[in-house]
Amino acid sequence: MRHGAAGDAGTWLIAGAASICLAVMLMVLLVLLSAGLAPFWPASLVELQLRDGRSVLGERVATSDDTLILRTSERERAGGAYMRIADRDIAAQTRADDAFVIALADGRRLFGRGDASAAAVMAREVASNAIVEETLRPNAMGTPTRIAVFFRHLGRFLGTPSVASASVGGALPALVGTVTLVLLMSLIVMPFGVATAVYLHERSGAAARLVRSAIANLAGVPSIVYGVLGLGLFVHGFGASIDRALYADRLPVPTFGSGGLLWAALTLALLTLPVVVVSVEEGLARIPASLRAGSLALGATRSETMWRLLLPAARPALLTGLILAIARAAGAVAPLMLVGVVKLAPALPIDGEFPYLHPSRQFMHLGFAVYDAALASPDAMRGIPRAFACALLLVGVVIALNLTAIVLRHRLRERYRALES
Amino acid sequence: METLLSSLPDIPTAIALESGTSAAVEIALDVRALSLWYGKRRVLEDVSFGVPARKITALVGPSGSGKSSLLRCVNRLNDEIAECRVEGQVLIGGADAYANDTVVHELRRRVGMVFQRPNPFPLTVYENVAYGLRLLGMKHRRELDEHIESALRSASLWDEVAARLDESALTLSLGQQQRLVIARALAVGPEILLMDEPASALDPAATLRFEELLHRLAERYTVLLVTHNMQQAARVSAFTAFLHEGRLIEFGETDALFTNPRERQTEDYITGRYG
Repeated sequence: MRHGAAGDAGTWLIAGAASICLAVMLMVLLVLLSAGLAPFWPASLVELQLRDGRSVLGERVATSDDTLILRTSERERAGGAYMRIADRDIAAQTRADDAFVIALADGRRLFGRGDASAAAVMAREVASNAIVEETLRPNAMGTPTRIAVFFRHLGRFLGTPSVASASVGGALPALVGTVTLVLLMSLIVMPFGVATAVYLHERSGAAARLVRSAIANLAGVPSIVYGVLGLGLFVHGFGASIDRALYADRLPVPTFGSGGLLWAALTLALLTLPVVVVSVEEGLARIPASLRAGSLALGATRSETMWRLLLPAARPALLTGLILAIARAAGAVAPLMLVGVVKLAPALPIDGEFPYLHPSRQFMHLGFAVYDAALASPDAMRGIPRAFACALLLVGVVIALNLTAIVLRHRLRERYRALES
Repeated sequence: METLLSSLPDIPTAIALESGTSAAVEIALDVRALSLWYGKRRVLEDVSFGVPARKITALVGPSGSGKSSLLRCVNRLNDEIAECRVEGQVLIGGADAYANDTVVHELRRRVGMVFQRPNPFPLTVYENVAYGLRLLGMKHRRELDEHIESALRSASLWDEVAARLDESALTLSLGQQQRLVIARALAVGPEILLMDEPASALDPAATLRFEELLHRLAERYTVLLVTHNMQQAARVSAFTAFLHEGRLIEFGETDALFTNPRERQTEDYITGRYG
């Protein structure tokens, strides 16, 4: 009986732990989804009649127990017209159907009431040299219209470049930068990681033990240290030498001698090398020794056996390594800040201009955009929601990249399933 | 390859078998004073015998007697084990497998091997047989097709898999898998086939089919068969070698060895008194 009771406690413990994991995961998704998508929803405009006789029109951006914060027309600059209003000062709240909001391309928003001509007059008066992105009347919208506007905003966020700073405009450059960086990192880390794993699998001497413990230690180095290493070794070392040798005519303007996509990808490749090596080596070790013996007995050399049989059979493990590497690389922001990520990049690292991929260019990154929007934005009321939106997008990118690899791995596993038995 | 075949002039083309029969037999594989160590442990001790060509020779003996290790000396698969040391000679067609100028992977093409458990590669049936051919540099589809069909026919598998060439080899039954790995070995054109308890994972029906196949293979190949199963050795082999604790106790024609063993140990083993 005692044994049975202990078993029950164990079962509950395991079930509890598993449910907590699931709950945390759901919570993360919920928070990211709700806070990350909120900025794209066309919020209602409110007009407040204050007790002192004034009336103000705007969007409510935050509320607390006894006050609210209202964004009113930003005539000077984005983030320059917040009003903190105590609840007791408010006489009445109305949501007039003819209230409109003008969104300017520089991020400013203007609020007013009246028909289309009133909006045009306001736009001309306040912002004669600014581009009007859209004029909305959210109070008059039904739910379907709001949903349509929500998706239009979302599409604009994903599809347009950033303006002035990473906290205004779309996230396209950060999205492109992140994906390009991760793909370039994968291209670099996979050959090195696989080659190292093959070496460790084939050798068992003192040298292999040394390499293995070096790799284990690399896995424990904090990511910022890799950033410093990348700055010192790649940017100041290799980059400066390349500039002196190949781009001497452009000096003192650095080409490769300042942070850029290539150096960031190399730094991340160093960071993710251990996970690739470990999972590929484990994958190779899982392949039955009889397959190797069978290949050798047919007259294959060791390297032929590795190339033609073992590595193909270890492809699921290679993909596992890649998945782990992508997850680690996409989340590393600290080292990137030292080797090439910027708040606002003038050009994408990949474009239609020869040679299409520009490894020396500085680039934007979603992880950095989260940090920048949350902590360095001059307009916290916009920065925080934007940080959530970027974080959501980053998670989406990682999930999309991983899903691709997981689907691929699943299809390979089907082929090799009988091996595992 | 030529030098491999033409070296060593004093090849015995015939031996007088110890059991008394003095029939001249062509020797395909001559093991001379072979000793093997794994580290400090001596696994084979001064083993000498000649394996007749195009016959089945069974290697029997209790577990740990060194049967598999001896087999793995012939195609030098023991080289893969660190701290493994070999003394003596293994003459294949007159050339020593352990000579300094032996190219190991060429040697292994001449000596096919079938393992205890079927070990098809996780590839299609076709690619399993094509594996060795591709190693030889064969690329043209038609040439591959021909060789693969002929290898599968030789292994009595063609009729069963002709329509399943593009399926994974792992979907075949164990008996089919074992014949597939034989076809794979035959495809590269070996002279000698080493078989390490090849039927131990098979059910009785598959074993029977397998033994029929062995008989057919013996018309063209020299087969060295390790087996735990005395009945099997008696049924299929023409010659039998009995190993005990790394030493060759007795070697001779199977009939003679089973009915009238010279050594006491052999008699004890084949009558099941130990082992």
